[in-house]
Amino acid sequence: MYSLKAEVEQTGGAAKAFSLSGISFSVEHRGLLKNVNIAFGAGEISALVGHNGSGKSTLLKLLARQMIPSSGEIRFGGHKLSEFDQRTFARSVAYLPQEVSAAPGMTVRELVACGRYPWHGALGRFTAGDSAKVEEALALTHVESFADRLVETLSGGERQRAWIAMLMAQDAEYLLLDEPTSALDIAHQIELLGLIQRLSREKGLSVVIVLHDINMAARFCDRIYALKAGAVVAEGRAADILRCEVLERIYGVRMEVMPHPHLGIPLAYVC
Amino acid sequence: MTAIAAAPGRLAGPPLVTIIIALAAAAFAVLRLEPELVAISQQAPGYDIRQVVLLYSTLPRMATALLAGAALGLSGSLFQQVLRNPLASPTTLGVSAGANLSLALATLYMPGLLGFGRDLVALAGSAIAAGLVFLLGARRGFSPFSLVLSGLIISLWCGALSAVLVMLNDRWLASLFIWGAGSLSQQSWVIPLSLLPKVAMAGLLAWLIVRPLGLVELGEAGATALGVDTARLRLLAIIVAVALAAFVTSAVGVIGFIGLVAPIIARLSGARRSGSVLLWSALIGAALLWLADGVVQYLAGAFSDFLPTGAVTAVFGSPLLLLLLHRLKVRHRVLPEQGRILSRRLQASPGLTLAAIAGLALLVAAALLVGRAADGDWALLQPDLYIDILPLRFPRVLGALSAGAMLAIAGTILQRLTGNEMASPEVLGIGAGATIGVTVTIFIVASPGFGLQITSAAAGALAVLGLVVGFALRGGLLPERVLLAGIALSAMVDAVVGVLSSTGDPRAMFLLRWMSGSTYGMETSTALAVVAAAIVLVTAAASAHRWLDILPLGPAPAAGLGLSLPRSRLFLFALAGLASAAATLCVGPLSFIGLMGPHLARECGLLRARPQILGAALLGGGLMVVADWLGRTIIFPYQIPAGLVSALVGAPFLMLLMRRK
Repeated sequence: MYSLKAEVEQTGGAAKAFSLSGISFSVEHRGLLKNVNIAFGAGEISALVGHNGSGKSTLLKLLARQMIPSSGEIRFGGHKLSEFDQRTFARSVAYLPQEVSAAPGMTVRELVACGRYPWHGALGRFTAGDSAKVEEALALTHVESFADRLVETLSGGERQRAWIAMLMAQDAEYLLLDEPTSALDIAHQIELLGLIQRLSREKGLSVVIVLHDINMAARFCDRIYALKAGAVVAEGRAADILRCEVLERIYGVRMEVMPHPHLGIPLAYVC
Repeated sequence: MTAIAAAPGRLAGPPLVTIIIALAAAAFAVLRLEPELVAISQQAPGYDIRQVVLLYSTLPRMATALLAGAALGLSGSLFQQVLRNPLASPTTLGVSAGANLSLALATLYMPGLLGFGRDLVALAGSAIAAGLVFLLGARRGFSPFSLVLSGLIISLWCGALSAVLVMLNDRWLASLFIWGAGSLSQQSWVIPLSLLPKVAMAGLLAWLIVRPLGLVELGEAGATALGVDTARLRLLAIIVAVALAAFVTSAVGVIGFIGLVAPIIARLSGARRSGSVLLWSALIGAALLWLADGVVQYLAGAFSDFLPTGAVTAVFGSPLLLLLLHRLKVRHRVLPEQGRILSRRLQASPGLTLAAIAGLALLVAAALLVGRAADGDWALLQPDLYIDILPLRFPRVLGALSAGAMLAIAGTILQRLTGNEMASPEVLGIGAGATIGVTVTIFIVASPGFGLQITSAAAGALAVLGLVVGFALRGGLLPERVLLAGIALSAMVDAVVGVLSSTGDPRAMFLLRWMSGSTYGMETSTALAVVAAAIVLVTAAASAHRWLDILPLGPAPAAGLGLSLPRSRLFLFALAGLASAAATLCVGPLSFIGLMGPHLARECGLLRARPQILGAALLGGGLMVVADWLGRTIIFPYQIPAGLVSALVGAPFLMLLMRRK
């Protein structure tokens, strides 16, 4: 069975998990992405930032195989995306869409158990190992307290965490998250992003995450890719991106940067 | 919001389109009338039968077509504007069917009412049907889709009841049957002359509300801000639209699809403002119906009096609806409409399963043993009669049980797949497909055996399933498209059957009996085959339970979990199709078991896919057994087919269920 980790170890960590070369995507002759070339690393958190309609979500959907690029090639761990069969891919790459459904009629635990589908398939047995993974995912994301409530009765933030728990149960090495903090208050945003950071460090997970808040990206992500009108306009570490002229290029707004009084990371604010 | 995208510049303006349609209609009229006109002009003045026919039949018929077409076009465009629903029309909202049913009921049971006012009876029926549809739709925020589905259910229910009436009273209702399908044939000027002032009055009312109606297009909040009382305006516009449809139905019967198509053509040809859409819809509707009637008369020749134009317009209207479907932008909903949250959940346990199966066994035993004796009294079957009676009752009870179970699992699959709680095999049009298969066969072979009936029904069902899935595949199997394609197809099939039946052929009664779902002729071998099919399909559905749990989460998460969307959807659609085809063979296309079974299972607290499937199968099977038993005993010594009983009981029950949300 394919394993990204094994591949990374074999190649001495050099293998880039996702590599995009010359990716374009257009709908009805409208180019949403134009000639994007990115190599997302393994074992680190990459943020996709940019204004609305810059192509962040589209790019993430292409990585998740939800859509097929109009031209160009995406490889995962050195293999073309089309080479993977669906469940093998899902065992390695988990995707959280921007809008998640209320999973009518399901409890949180049952939703999380759906994350085991890539492992047991349509007819396979739901083993003790599967249910151990489910419990672990519930514990990791701190949703045990409402594990037996129906998902439709939860608040937006709780629902989002329940879905993240499902992604954890999927036990993939690579997470693709489309604005996972959009429905969360500031405390839960910090908590969730902190959790993702912790998981990345402890379990060696790789993450590509679409974020709106540039400061959150700077604080929690190892690397930031900025998109504008379907093209990459900047990439690098937080210190490279959070600079006046770069931010103005990305957002078209005059912004300034100052160091965080305690943490030393840069903070951007609009003038 | 969904909308038919206007295509500016692609088609010429509405006047040109109207003129083209009207010219074509005139051409057909001239083609048909020319010999008569020539003959009349050559005759010396005096009594001539051809002149009488021209003056008192042909011309009134033409006038009626123009008036009815205009009224329906106006009615449809009012519905479409006020509901902001491009698929709304008297046909799709069940308004015409309601009028039709109320007239049939009045004819049979309260003929005095008709003397009092035919229009009032029709109006009452339409108003009730429209009220029910809107009640159901209001719960779902008047979403275009659920309104049309509610309308379809009302139409089916009215159709089912009319079918029972026709079967029980076939001597008196034969003419009603033709008329109900929308015959324009006239013997005098009475009908067009009485229709004219009514349509004119409604038109005047419509003209008065044109301007505020244009503001409604801005949306609720915008219109209110500009000082329009949107609620009252909507009500007024709907009353006018319902009245127009009722007048037409009362005068000439149900004319399918003109009210849907005329406004769409008007808008596609470039009419944009409310006022011009209303005006051109009316004119295009008039020209269209005139043309349709001309074509029908030209093609049918001497039989044209018996071939209802309304049914023919439906035959051609539904494919058009099918073609227009891709213009209906279905915004993808991740969430199905928020249903009532059921906190009560039943965990599937061996004890529960056992209890359910025991209950079902008890029910089957009761259905087998309790009945009416020869003198009509209720009686338990005496043991000495077992040998004679049980072989008669056993196959039909088994057949009903299996058919109910299969319909229920088909409904469960469709509801989970589409995220729409109104989905069911009845709506998918598979039953209608089986019907057309049988229809074609009985018109080729005089009296087909049961085996041939089954083969042709299965062929018809699979053809419709193939069409629906094939059509939907082009749209990426979007669930909404599948259902709408199914609706359009089943409307077309109904119309074809209507046309064939209304030729006054004795085979029509056979067809009607078949459509109403009689288990009467079931033989043991057939029953056993149906049972085997039910077991296989229920098992297959139950083992696909993980797909059925995950797919409702939405396409993106499902694909993210490694589920192949096209493959799983195709498999499940095929399963639902096969199950409903097999079931339709036993109980006809009209029963609402496919709709009721899954809902009842849900209401019992069976929320996960596997328990819901098994529960729905048991409940659906049980319900069908009860329906079969009721149909056998309730008006002894006559029988009502099981399919009809379940439809008549099921539809109102379902509406109560929906109301509670």
